[in-house]
Amino acid sequence: MPAEVKQEQSPSNATSLAMMQEPQEVVEETVTIEEDPGTPTSHVSVVTSDDGTTRRTETKDISSNVKVTKMVKTVTTRTVRQVPLGPDGLPLPEGSSPLGSYTDSIDRRYMKNGGDRFITPQATSTLTRSYNNSYNDSYGETPESQYVRHYGLHDGYADLTDNYGSLSRGVNFRPPRYPYLPNSYRPENSYTLPIRKDDYGHVAQPQVPMGSSTVDLNRSQPERFQAEPYGLEDDRRSLGPEEEEPYELEPDYSTANRRTLQGANRGRTHREPLRDMPRVRGYPDEAIEAELIDERHPYIHGMYSAPLALPERGSMASLDRMGGRRSPSIDSIRKDPRWRDPDLPEVIAMLGHPIDPVKSNAAAYLQHLCYENDKIKKDVRQLKGIPVLVGLLDHPKSEVHRKACGALRNISYGKDNDNKVAIKICDGIPGLVRLLRKTNDMEVRELITGTLWNLSSYEPLKMVIINHGLQTLTNEVIIPHSGWEHEPNEDSKPRDAEWTTVFKNTSGCLRNVSSDGAEARRRLRECEGLVDALLHALQSAVGKKDMDNKSVENCVCIMRNLSYHVHKEVPGAERFQDPSALQAPGSAGPQRKKKDDAGCFGGKKAKEEWFNQGRKNGENDKNYDTLDLPKRSEPSKGFELLYQPEVVRLYLSLLTESQNYNTLEAAAGALQNLSAGQWTWSNYIRATVRKEKGLPILVELLRSDSDKVVRAVSIALRNLSIDRRNKDLIGSYAMRDLVSNLPSGQQRPAKNLEEDTVVAILNTIHEIVTDSSENARSLAQAQAIEKLVAINRTSQSARETKAASHVLQTVWSYKELRNALTKDGWNKSHFQPTMTTTPKATKNGKPGYDDTTLPLMEKNQGTRKCGSGDMIPMDELGPDGYSTIDQRDKDCKYKAVDGSVDQTEREPLKNDTNRKHYIRTNRPAVSLVDACDVKPQPVDSWV
Amino acid sequence: MTSCMAGQPLTVVVQRIQIQKLRHGANLILGFSIGGGIDQDPGQNPFSDDKTDKGIYVTRISPRGPAEEAGLRMGDKIMQVNGWDMTMVTHDQARKRLTKKNEDVVRLLVTRKSLEEAVKHSMGSYPRQ
Repeated sequence: MPAEVKQEQSPSNATSLAMMQEPQEVVEETVTIEEDPGTPTSHVSVVTSDDGTTRRTETKDISSNVKVTKMVKTVTTRTVRQVPLGPDGLPLPEGSSPLGSYTDSIDRRYMKNGGDRFITPQATSTLTRSYNNSYNDSYGETPESQYVRHYGLHDGYADLTDNYGSLSRGVNFRPPRYPYLPNSYRPENSYTLPIRKDDYGHVAQPQVPMGSSTVDLNRSQPERFQAEPYGLEDDRRSLGPEEEEPYELEPDYSTANRRTLQGANRGRTHREPLRDMPRVRGYPDEAIEAELIDERHPYIHGMYSAPLALPERGSMASLDRMGGRRSPSIDSIRKDPRWRDPDLPEVIAMLGHPIDPVKSNAAAYLQHLCYENDKIKKDVRQLKGIPVLVGLLDHPKSEVHRKACGALRNISYGKDNDNKVAIKICDGIPGLVRLLRKTNDMEVRELITGTLWNLSSYEPLKMVIINHGLQTLTNEVIIPHSGWEHEPNEDSKPRDAEWTTVFKNTSGCLRNVSSDGAEARRRLRECEGLVDALLHALQSAVGKKDMDNKSVENCVCIMRNLSYHVHKEVPGAERFQDPSALQAPGSAGPQRKKKDDAGCFGGKKAKEEWFNQGRKNGENDKNYDTLDLPKRSEPSKGFELLYQPEVVRLYLSLLTESQNYNTLEAAAGALQNLSAGQWTWSNYIRATVRKEKGLPILVELLRSDSDKVVRAVSIALRNLSIDRRNKDLIGSYAMRDLVSNLPSGQQRPAKNLEEDTVVAILNTIHEIVTDSSENARSLAQAQAIEKLVAINRTSQSARETKAASHVLQTVWSYKELRNALTKDGWNKSHFQPTMTTTPKATKNGKPGYDDTTLPLMEKNQGTRKCGSGDMIPMDELGPDGYSTIDQRDKDCKYKAVDGSVDQTEREPLKNDTNRKHYIRTNRPAVSLVDACDVKPQPVDSWV
Repeated sequence: MTSCMAGQPLTVVVQRIQIQKLRHGANLILGFSIGGGIDQDPGQNPFSDDKTDKGIYVTRISPRGPAEEAGLRMGDKIMQVNGWDMTMVTHDQARKRLTKKNEDVVRLLVTRKSLEEAVKHSMGSYPRQ
């Protein structure tokens, strides 16, 4: 029995644990992280290939929204595979080079798709529409107009892209090209590269020719072209200062590119796709288009040889025909047998090409190829392409390292951690950080931070990122974008945070990294300016009522993680320990921190004094009812800010205003962490929450639809109720909301909360009811007994059963309540632990065993002592503790021990939950076994 | 609607459910638990409306387990197992009937509240205690 008791108790401890566990949530962060990279999505880039051909590459950022990404992927895939060559006149123009063909193919598809698209669900809705529109428009028109339309289609495409990221500009440019196309075809072909696939070098050189052709094109409409040298980043370029560079570097290209691309595409079309997949992809579309062309534009035929005959390979082909009539120009272009897309080894080889534009084009093409294609990413890795890309980060030309960053970002995205490791192995992380320090180009900074965000999702790389990039990320991004200033001028107004993509990416990266355990937390806390800037950013968000965005979510999550175990880990924490709470001696967190922290904090002495001061106050303040905050001689800064009572208001504001569940959860988690533990500051925090009228806010959130919000809030309430006054208040006002979250009888409440949440709520109730018969009475009045009994007897979860059993035992222990309980029809047996609680063995048919005889109360009290006391030993966190994570994690973590808590944080568990659940539930069957046939109690047998 | 008269057999709306057992190591699992039986205290059965009902009830279901997949629900009253009557058996008899090692499939005849509305009414007339 004792064993049982312990188990039961553990839940209470668990609660405290739960608090600790918050870091686990970090895991979630990881997941998020990946999203970031995707930010913008696909860039259409026109790249000049080695040959001089321009390609139009669509790079899709992995990071972009999942939905988007997926959509994009589909599109891409098709394009790539089906339409390799440039049959589509339209797309090609933009990206002339072979590489471009991929891109082009995509475009083509779209174009063709007029009909196809509908068919293909994959295309992103936005894209589809635009395509469709363009398509339709082009139809009845004359050939020439059609060409224009095609471009228009491209435009549509571009727009689409824009939605994702930055394509739009390209679109505009394109139109002009068309007119040229007819004439330019041949020239373009020449530009385009090497008919011979073999000669990369040659290709590169061809630039000149391209230029010439370009020139022609340019002439026709020079201005526009100039505007957008490269398709990929056109949009962004406008933003960044660097954009101009491209022009300088490759003026011709830029102008020429698109046209060239077109030409190139056409050329490609014509060319035979010899080996590579790209061609294959291109086929179907091309064929169709070719037909169209033939019909409508005879002259094109003349220009290109044998456009038609390509076999249709893709499923698209059929579709294309149906809908695709409009894009003749494309067709003509595609079939030139002399052109083909470079294969992967060739592209990687091009990364080392002496001519910079070739390098950048190759990198851009790689980015495009890698988008959402794990196979290609792996191939790039195995072909040793990653070190080359990393090497390009130090290239003097921004166009080059920009493209390299784009490729790295895509490569670093995804579940294949080997890719991330490969980047790390060749010192990509310091390389990225170095570049971040150097560059002012916003796009590059976005790409760098997006890549780092991707990398930060892999556990082993977190510390590497901290070691190489923490201070740089803080200084270069977090601080400037947060609006915080070290030493604000009197005259300057406090600045607001800017929710830029760079900030979002960086905060996401740090969010991931902050979950890497105690050492990571220490480093972040002590990183100069970081906590200050994050707090400033959050305050700014609150001030502006702009609290639902991802950046805020990231910031709050970092704060939450850094607040975890502050009472143990912060330098000097031992001086604040509440003597009344003797913590497990084993938990001497602060020790290791001490050595390193000297560097980060200048004014040691002042701080020291301050600490002492605070401590005194803290000691005086044992009595939670009075809230005498320590007076400071100087404003707190750095990690001290984490646990100053002032933060309470910030978190409460977020809890009041934010609609973002993750933010809500993190804010509640921060309060949970801060109110855990036994040190002076947590006493202040608990009291401050009450004084700031935070309890009603938290209670209100118990009604949230989000499981994890309810859980975090519930645990926060439990920790807050360590404060006696809070306990009374929570008992009086929160009981109904807590109880309403419990499953009732056989059917779960509408919310259908997860087991962890139910356990957390039960543990919170237990804490509230402990040492307070008044609260136990309100519990009974809230109709909770019925639910508790039902859970105790019928829950499928052993943990729920146990937690409910604890509560019931506690309630029954109040003799003054028994009368009332009896009147309501309850008797002692209802408050006994069910057999479930006792895995023991009572197999069927041992009617003799009667639990009722056991002294319930005694048990409880024993248990109670440990659990109910005001002090919740954090270290003891039992397995039952609440866990944010799913079962398996918990198991691991618990077994692993307290220290392992951090681990919990890591993984995004989502999917597994189900599986585990299943297993878990089955497992219980064993322990739950019907067992005790104790007469009075209904037997329950798993079958 | 079914009418019920004391002393008369009760007609109930039933549902047939067939469950394929899941092999779990050496065990065959149905993925639910039962409560009740003539040797049990029917008053403790949270699922029955008639607290004198000593039938076998489904008390828990493993998520994604075979029983759930088959459509069995918590609170269902099991009338028959592979043709064997379950309304007048001991708890253990029911358990054994369900856990035959040599049967991979179990066919249940169950009734549940939603189907049993009418029955409830008639039961309601019983003096309650």
